[in-house]
Amino acid sequence: MTVAAGIGYALLALGPSLSLFVSVISRKPFLILTLLSSTLVWLVSLIVLSGLWRPFLPLKANVVWPYALLVLSSVCFQEALRFLFWKLYMRLEDVLDSFADRISRPRLFLTDKLQIALAGGLGHGVAHAVFFCLSLLTPAFGPATFYVDRFSKVPFFLISAIIALAFVTIHTFSMVIAFEGYAKGNKVDQVIVPVIHLSAGMLTLVNFASEGCVIGVPLLYLVASLTLLHCGKMVWQRLIESRNQSGPTLR
Amino acid sequence: MDRTQRPRSVLDSLGEELIGILTPVSICMFTVVLLVCLLNSDTSSSASFSSIATAAYSETDSDSPWDKLLGAFLNSLVFVAAITVATFLLVLLFYLRCVRFLKLYMGFSAFVVLANLGGEISVLLIDRFRLPVDSVTFSILLFNFSVVGVFAVFMSRFSILITQGYLVVIGVLVAYFFTMLPEWTTWVLLVALALYDLAAVLLPVGPLRLLVEMAISRDEDIPALVYEARPVIRDDSRLVQRRVWRDRRSSQNDDDLENNEVVNVVRAEEDEQRSEISVPLIERSRPESSETFLEGIGLGSSGAIKLGLGDFIFYSVLVGRAAMYDLMTVYACYLAIIAGLGVTLMLLSVYQKALPALPVSIMLGVVFYFLARLFLEVFVVQCSSNLVMF
Repeated sequence: MTVAAGIGYALLALGPSLSLFVSVISRKPFLILTLLSSTLVWLVSLIVLSGLWRPFLPLKANVVWPYALLVLSSVCFQEALRFLFWKLYMRLEDVLDSFADRISRPRLFLTDKLQIALAGGLGHGVAHAVFFCLSLLTPAFGPATFYVDRFSKVPFFLISAIIALAFVTIHTFSMVIAFEGYAKGNKVDQVIVPVIHLSAGMLTLVNFASEGCVIGVPLLYLVASLTLLHCGKMVWQRLIESRNQSGPTLR
Repeated sequence: MDRTQRPRSVLDSLGEELIGILTPVSICMFTVVLLVCLLNSDTSSSASFSSIATAAYSETDSDSPWDKLLGAFLNSLVFVAAITVATFLLVLLFYLRCVRFLKLYMGFSAFVVLANLGGEISVLLIDRFRLPVDSVTFSILLFNFSVVGVFAVFMSRFSILITQGYLVVIGVLVAYFFTMLPEWTTWVLLVALALYDLAAVLLPVGPLRLLVEMAISRDEDIPALVYEARPVIRDDSRLVQRRVWRDRRSSQNDDDLENNEVVNVVRAEEDEQRSEISVPLIERSRPESSETFLEGIGLGSSGAIKLGLGDFIFYSVLVGRAAMYDLMTVYACYLAIIAGLGVTLMLLSVYQKALPALPVSIMLGVVFYFLARLFLEVFVVQCSSNLVMF
């Protein structure tokens, strides 16, 4: 429904990430590069998954279990990729630290590492929003709108933008949790990230039921806010810890 | 509790030059996609755009795929041959030191691009948006715009932001017109140009390599349209100034010769009325002694990355052509091109010799386009139209 609505849907899905980008990430060029590379990694994982599933598509319209299998395989693949991404990041951290030593600057602070993790997560989230929501938004710029049968109360574009927003949040902050979990060897954090991702993916399957979005979407937002809370708590603890460690004079 | 100032982390300014190149490339691609979406939405692009690139074969919808492919090959062959001839001509003129003639021709071609192509696109936009503009005002504005553009590109003491803006505009205009070529021709042409680039820069007999070696041996700038990222001056006193005036390098500053000038791609492309010569990706690595190096009006410089305008143009052509299919392919191709550019710059810093900027990005872009079109779209539409996401 017109350009205004189209832009509105796009901003609904990507508004918070845009403000995060402008306030945090655009300040440091390295974070922009991290964001671009993590977006690329997500895209490559999506292409590989689509290549694997291509022979089985299109799936039958109302049968749920192939979709469940699809979500399960995709989430497993992406979590494995996240672990590899973390390994790559560790090597990058070593390179940056040795570079910093060479030009006699301080090594990476804790906040720097957290910001890199945030940029990586935001890259994943933005890629998700772009490919699952924005790329379908082109018809929304025209004069009409579209409703799906399963949820006739709200236009399709609006509901997909809302779901995309939840997923952006989940991706962004679970990357921070994951990086800290892998770095500290904290089993809880390491396990909670795939669990969150999988449960979020499975919750969208609830949308298959007629009017299922009424239950599915609020539960999804519950998962997203849980992610946010857990991440906030973890980061707060780490910051307090590191401040106590280094003493009041250095910070 | 008093807040002591935190020491600058290494993360604060790392990668600045790369972003300085990525931003204008992204802006150029974004503008071309916007133009394609705005201007191509109603009628199909079958309005014949006859240029040297369609001299051998003009595609019609009724031909079989094999015919189209063959025709596209012929077209690209003709185009690449024309470019090779033009580049050799450029090398010859440069060898005979007709630099002034080349500069005048560059200015003339910039004027023609801005006035002619800019005028055509403006008329299309005015038509599309039903803007009330009379022809006298329009021609005065267009003339002024083009003349300022020519000055911006070829006078050295012009504000660097305006120069960069005009170079991006020239790239956008030429790229938009190239997207109007028939589809098969465009894709085969892009691949052919990437291969030509590879050959022309890396082979010992390649014209671009000859040109670059001549320029380095004489320590002159190649007379061409080059986008230069704003050089960033780094002092130890934590002041990061940006050089505002683009300076001509004075020949008596011998310190400059120590810089490793690594050149990437030079390409000449000829279309019916104009030829633009675009220069390679040049990286100046700053030697340790140039901390207090002064030049021109007293500002030092470090690490200015230059990217040839032809690279801008062909990246944008790829993305513009992807936009004619769907926006999903646009995102995929954009990321592929940016990744290719990053890889090229990394290879540049590793190999420290002339490298072409087109091949990696174009190949990645083409591969991602076809992957996205064949696999990704079905998968994603299937999932998200059922509101299943992960």
